Amino acid sequence: MSAGKEVRSLTMKKEMISANQLFAMIILFELGTALVVPIGLESGHAVWLSILLALPGGVVLYLVFADLHHQNPDMIISGYTQKILGKLIGWPLSLLYIPVFMFNGSRNLREAGDLLLASSYDQTPVFVINAMMVVAVMYILNKGIEVFARTAGIYIFVVLFMGAICSFVVIVSGLIDLENLFPLHAKDWRDAFQSAYPSIWIFPFGELVCLTTILPQINRSYLVKKTGVIAVILSGLLLAFTHAIEMSVLGENIYARAAFPMFTTVTQVNLANFVQRLDALVMLTLIIGVFFKMTIYCYAAIAVTSDLFHVKEQRKLVVPVTVVILFSSFISAENYPVHLDEGRVFMKFILPVLCAYIPILLFIVQHVRKRFHLFR
Amino acid sequence: MMIAITRWMLNVLVSLSLVLPLSGCWNSRELNDLSIVSGIGIDKADDKDEYRVTFQVVNPTSTATSTGASTGQPPITIYTSTDRTIFGALRKTSRKSSRQLFFAHTQLVVIGEALARSGINDIFDIFERSHELRLNSAILVSRNSNAASILKVLIPVESLPAIGLVKKSRNTSRLWGENREVNIFETIKGITGESELVLSGIQLTGDPEEGKKKTNLEQTEVKTLTMMKGLAVFKDGKLVDWMEGPAARGTQWVLNQLKTTTINIDSGEQKESVAVDVTFSKTKVAIELRQGLPVFHIRISEEGSLSETKAPVDFSKRDVILDLEKEMAKETQEEVKQAIQTAQRFGSDIFGFADQLKRTKPNVWKGVENDWDTLFAKGQADIQVEAYIRSTGMRIKSYLIKPE
Repeated sequence: MSAGKEVRSLTMKKEMISANQLFAMIILFELGTALVVPIGLESGHAVWLSILLALPGGVVLYLVFADLHHQNPDMIISGYTQKILGKLIGWPLSLLYIPVFMFNGSRNLREAGDLLLASSYDQTPVFVINAMMVVAVMYILNKGIEVFARTAGIYIFVVLFMGAICSFVVIVSGLIDLENLFPLHAKDWRDAFQSAYPSIWIFPFGELVCLTTILPQINRSYLVKKTGVIAVILSGLLLAFTHAIEMSVLGENIYARAAFPMFTTVTQVNLANFVQRLDALVMLTLIIGVFFKMTIYCYAAIAVTSDLFHVKEQRKLVVPVTVVILFSSFISAENYPVHLDEGRVFMKFILPVLCAYIPILLFIVQHVRKRFHLFR
Repeated sequence: MMIAITRWMLNVLVSLSLVLPLSGCWNSRELNDLSIVSGIGIDKADDKDEYRVTFQVVNPTSTATSTGASTGQPPITIYTSTDRTIFGALRKTSRKSSRQLFFAHTQLVVIGEALARSGINDIFDIFERSHELRLNSAILVSRNSNAASILKVLIPVESLPAIGLVKKSRNTSRLWGENREVNIFETIKGITGESELVLSGIQLTGDPEEGKKKTNLEQTEVKTLTMMKGLAVFKDGKLVDWMEGPAARGTQWVLNQLKTTTINIDSGEQKESVAVDVTFSKTKVAIELRQGLPVFHIRISEEGSLSETKAPVDFSKRDVILDLEKEMAKETQEEVKQAIQTAQRFGSDIFGFADQLKRTKPNVWKGVENDWDTLFAKGQADIQVEAYIRSTGMRIKSYLIKPE
């Protein structure tokens, strides 16, 4: 029994995440679902361009998060919101983050569940599939964020390796048709810009707001900015590359209609009548991506909750939060089109406020107050 | 001590119960409950507005390679069902089949000519939507017969007719170049694009009843045979007419899909006496509008090797080769011209010109979008071919040339 106590007291100490693990987490988080589902549909065949256009905005947004962290190194977003805006405004504002994080987590879960359901598990109830994934999330959150970060450090290689195989095979089997990507006319640039801001800027770049709950755990705080920016840029480039491949193989029409363009792209592969049916790799990519993305969302929701309600033991919140996410993942929408429809509304009106406008507001107020020595 | 034991037992129990779902067989389907469908034929039902869908199902025991397993059954079995939808017909087949049909290995889809003539645009949704059916199955149009009779014919050398047909189409597309291997994915792209569709045709010769029997194969020259023949030209999803020979090959040339082909060119007085194997060909197309009418600039560059001559031409001379190259370019130009003229007669832009124009000059396309069919038919073709002969094979001079 004494051994158990010792372990527990060890885990009670502050958990530490290295900069490399942060790098891995950002990449996995960014690639998570954005890799598999179609994004920025308004931009037509220039979707890859809109991702590249949204990337600078994403980097700026990350710099805002990093700066807020730098100014308040021991606080998570709900902490410094209250410090900057005062408890009266800050507390209710931070409270908003909890349902949004949970809802977004449940949306990711839904997407993974639906891909599995649509592609091979046609007889399995969605509850079972989603529950499986939620159990894994529960387990890892129970182990703590440090364990999670180390897992990310391993899986980043798995995902990049699978991505490399998939793109290599798609390119080698001669499916790429650059005519689907070019030429770019003035109208395409306009459309690309319009879908970049705010839609792609928010999803997936703005979603990094979750990471503000993890940043205080980084052991070398001065690396947060540099590592994060590199990770955001790299993940943006990877996303643009992947979506360019998807678009060049499928063409605008099929890309826009496909529920999971990446899946359709990879099913096209037929190398020498031998290398084919690599669908499993896409499923794995999505499941791994969703696992990390959802876990970060869950953790963010838990961290904010425990901060606002002064729950000392974060672990106690794991089961309630994940169970709510599990149920809302299939209660929120009766089918996938409804889910996508909800997503459009959610992304248009709610996410930009929480992912971009509030942090930017915090950033401005923080610097104004600091400049005029208004912090008590 | 008691606590320790119960905890230990609990752990074992939990681990064991966790092992159960690990096999992940919620959605399992066993191999011996499946019938693997190798080919699907879609026809119009005779008197009703329904599809008659034919499934060519692999007969596992008779395709086994080990001796002794053979049961004397043919390698395939055919099931046919009719329904308003393809999926309905597919499920209805369960009344005839002892096993659930499994579509992930479907190699081929054959469309009956009658259905093709009445329109095929609405039949492909299931191929996109289903997770079992593959978008890269090949697609053929049966000529002068229904799709069912094509799928029923056993073919020599290959054990599975559907795979045999796919190989046939691949083989001739690669070597002769009048046909092209088109899959469902490209077909859907063709339907959704602005241009028209063109698919390869397959024809049945001989008695279709004989073709169903294994005895048909028990002779050196099979009496009932399927062969690739012509290109089915569509307009608005409906088969307009068939394109043959040089025009069909010209179409592949314009589409930049020609892999290898052979052309016989004239040498001096003798008509079509030198065979050239075209081993490389690249086509570039540009479209512009001149006084309201489209002009199709087609630039082809091709390379070939001399394969045979029956005229005494001296290949060692440079100007002889140059003349042959000119002939080769002329011949190619002629075929391409025929292809474009035939398509213009049908008023069907099968070359993807409309898509090309829309892609490169969206503003121009907006102006001609509504009457593209008539404009296409009036369009001018500007064809320029650069032909090179790169090799003369194992001999330079032919033995037909008497040494002086």
